[in-house]
Amino acid sequence: MIRKTSAFDIANHWVLALSFFILTVTGFGFLFHLELMNSIFGSFNRMRLIHNWSGIIFLVSLFLTMFIYLRVSVSFGPDDVGWILKAGGYLSRKAVVPPQDIINTGQKFFYLVFLLLGYAISASGLIIWLAAGVKKWVLLSHLIHNISFDLLVMLIPVHIYLGTFANPGTFRIMIYGTVPLEWAKKRHGKWVRRMGY
Amino acid sequence: MMRKSLLISPEVCIGCRGCQTACKEWNQLAGVKTRNTGSFENPPDLIPTLYNRIRYVEVPSEADRQRWLFVNQRCMHCGDAGCMKICPAPGALYRTPEGAVAFSKEKCIGCKLCVTACPFNVPRYDINNKISKCHLCSDRISEGLPPACSKVCPTGAIRFGDRDALIEYAKVTGYAKVYGERDLDGLGALYAFKDAPSIYGMNESPAIPESVVFWNNILKPLSYLGIGGVVALALIHYVAFGPHKEEEEKYDEQHDKKDQRL
Repeated sequence: MIRKTSAFDIANHWVLALSFFILTVTGFGFLFHLELMNSIFGSFNRMRLIHNWSGIIFLVSLFLTMFIYLRVSVSFGPDDVGWILKAGGYLSRKAVVPPQDIINTGQKFFYLVFLLLGYAISASGLIIWLAAGVKKWVLLSHLIHNISFDLLVMLIPVHIYLGTFANPGTFRIMIYGTVPLEWAKKRHGKWVRRMGY
Repeated sequence: MMRKSLLISPEVCIGCRGCQTACKEWNQLAGVKTRNTGSFENPPDLIPTLYNRIRYVEVPSEADRQRWLFVNQRCMHCGDAGCMKICPAPGALYRTPEGAVAFSKEKCIGCKLCVTACPFNVPRYDINNKISKCHLCSDRISEGLPPACSKVCPTGAIRFGDRDALIEYAKVTGYAKVYGERDLDGLGALYAFKDAPSIYGMNESPAIPESVVFWNNILKPLSYLGIGGVVALALIHYVAFGPHKEEEEKYDEQHDKKDQRL
């Protein structure tokens, strides 16, 4: 076994995931006037409080997430080009892709896009909350909030799928933080080599 | 039910502000101390405790020293209401059978999004941070009574009735164009203007902000189509390509530089 993620990062990822889930559910509640939410949260007034404060937790968690893979995510080399040309090996049962770092090219892109959208939806949400009634700022933020929302609800199911069913053996990272060495060598060869295995 | 509306005729308004007083009385809205700003206009804007008011518009005129126009300002009860579109709380803003845009303070969550989406800058928020605006006396009109402002108006400057009949009436009495006949799927407050609406300080082409329309028509449906589509694609991918299995492959250090199966 080789450690891929620290206990702190695992805990933080769960906080991020859970707050995102609450924000998405309440967000859909607001968007489509789901009266069902009344029986879950008591009232839309309380749901608004839960939505706003979950947003704060999400933002703090997002900030803590930023320092894990930022450096590796902005590094881009021939192996990344190779990975993209093979579509990460996901469009074939037999595809072979270049050796990858601690996260692969797709994960790098996801990481960067998620950081961007996460900050966009947090900042716009804060403005809608704190600058309530200021037409110019709130209308722009409302637009950004909803564009980021649409992109995130499309992006996160892909992230969950790739981290569970599509890649057996990946989900344990979110529980134990460790992976079998053989697994790591095949999927993150560059990183394993750098670690001296 | 026939859509009800108001027909406001500044030409016959005498600026007595009986409408303001009657509204406050019926809706039990407290009086607020204001400042003399050199105009009879008072208060100077809509406030949470004032659902309608008379704007005193002074327009330079060739015939007289100036024209003095009295224009009633209030919620327009748009057929296509920006406030209702953007409001995230079900039941906080709702359409009555008569076509009025009414509100429920209990259901309002105080987000003020309606303020930003209103083409007429009407919604106000009370001290409890709940919406406060004209609701066309929905509690009166549901019982067949006219709104308080219209009931008290001594000159017929604020008429209440079936919308079609009021438009017909305005045209018969010489107003070729009725302000609000078509804008925003028809306003619930129609104006019989003698001149261009801008003379009376009204927006010539009121509209819901474009970003709100774009959000409502595109972004909103895209959210559930998107999440559904992506989940469906993941299922198809799982069936078509299956998961990445490691099988019995062995890591070969000699092939370090070569491609590796992921």
